[in-house]
Amino acid sequence: MISISKLLCDVGAEGDGLRYDAASETSKPQITEEKQRRPVVVWNLTKQCNLYCAHCYAAADTETADGELSTSEGKRLLDDLASYGIPVVLFSGGEPLVRDDLTELVEYAAESGIRPVLSTNGTLVTPEKARELRDAGLQYAGISVDGLRGRNDDFRGKDGAFDAALRGIRAFLDADVKTGLRYTITERNAPDLRDVVDLLYEEGVNRFCFYHLDYGGRGADISNVDLTPGEKRKAVRRLCDMTREYHDRGHDIETLLVGNYADAGFLVEYAREHEGRDAAKRVYDYLEQNGGDPTGERIADVDYQGNVHMTQFWQGYSLGNVRDRSFGDIWDDQTNPLLDRVRARDDYLTGRCAECCYRDICRGGSRLRALSAHDDPFAPDPQCYLHDDEIGIAPSFEASGD
Amino acid sequence: MVEKPQRFRVGDKPRDAVETEWEVFVRDEDDSPLRHAGGITAPSLEIAYEQATKLFAWYAVDIWLCPADGVARFSTHDLDDDAEPVRIETGGEDRSFE
Repeated sequence: MISISKLLCDVGAEGDGLRYDAASETSKPQITEEKQRRPVVVWNLTKQCNLYCAHCYAAADTETADGELSTSEGKRLLDDLASYGIPVVLFSGGEPLVRDDLTELVEYAAESGIRPVLSTNGTLVTPEKARELRDAGLQYAGISVDGLRGRNDDFRGKDGAFDAALRGIRAFLDADVKTGLRYTITERNAPDLRDVVDLLYEEGVNRFCFYHLDYGGRGADISNVDLTPGEKRKAVRRLCDMTREYHDRGHDIETLLVGNYADAGFLVEYAREHEGRDAAKRVYDYLEQNGGDPTGERIADVDYQGNVHMTQFWQGYSLGNVRDRSFGDIWDDQTNPLLDRVRARDDYLTGRCAECCYRDICRGGSRLRALSAHDDPFAPDPQCYLHDDEIGIAPSFEASGD
Repeated sequence: MVEKPQRFRVGDKPRDAVETEWEVFVRDEDDSPLRHAGGITAPSLEIAYEQATKLFAWYAVDIWLCPADGVARFSTHDLDDDAEPVRIETGGEDRSFE
């Protein structure tokens, strides 16, 4: 996760410490340094969802699945995660609100010292539910909207989904739960991006997360509507421009990018172009501390049946199952050759990634997309949009305005 | 004196809702031990092997695949609601050596 607003506009946020190890440089209260060494855990509570989105990485279904972790198993999992020092659990799905024990699990996580946050389509959030989750200790709700009304509903497979999500956003905001947008950019919805931000900002949302399409679950089935590298570049540039415009007008929105660490190199180039070499150097240093793509290191996923994955998008391969071993034992198992190589991927990346001057702040981008495109988890990410001349020389921070 | 572990039989709940979960075992070199290397979700053995080859072809001389529901697991870890303690008679002689 890369914060455009932090890097280009120096807007601090509570989660900066998890991304940049820069807790001392922000006025916002930070999650403790010790916990920064552990991954954020995405827990897909259920496979069931009331929508059927075209890009769902979890391939969620309208029916529940056998073998979902029960409430008591979930609490034991949270005990495991707390004892291992996990800082944040992101309750996700499927749609987590279809489980009637969500509030109980959120409360248990909070009482265990884990920061509970939520990823939801928002359509099942009532004002009562929003207050209940707030009282249980929910710290943040990210609500998925993937375009204006027509395009979002088409993408999500249900008429009325946009309006229902908007009601959910209002419910969380009214309950004083920090609420943000989750938006997966494809060629279908890229034209709506600015309008959605403007609309939701008027509603009171000030945090906007933009996801690149990863090729997991149903996302693999629609890779044909992924933006081309050139279109991605334009979309990210528009987001950078938009973030600066908002801040220039005095509106401190937080904008973040997820799922394509070519963005890291682009942000350095963008900072150099617009603010000069010192700004570019500052952006590079932050991103170097951030550590690039977090797969297998700073992000982990536990699916609804307890399988542990290196990232929430890579559901087809698991490291183990929490019904067999504790999460910490699975995560720390250095005998797993794939996990070991993913963590040491700087030594194994091939092609243009191996020579890239931004390798330290990107680390090859998505290994899942590389696997999907090249049948090789250490091949280049096919959605890197940086030009050869940008990645071919070490960043000198000398040039400007190129 | 070595304390005997209390193990539980892990339940047989499914590991995937739609396809099959395959436990993966790999051997580094001809004389290396076989070791567990996670699990792959695939609809058939052929596709599971194809996936495993993509993930481990750079590395393993042997790849073994086993349907996850074909493995009986005994563990001291008892997160599973269905985990049943397993007690077997091991005789009265105390183990003295690890």
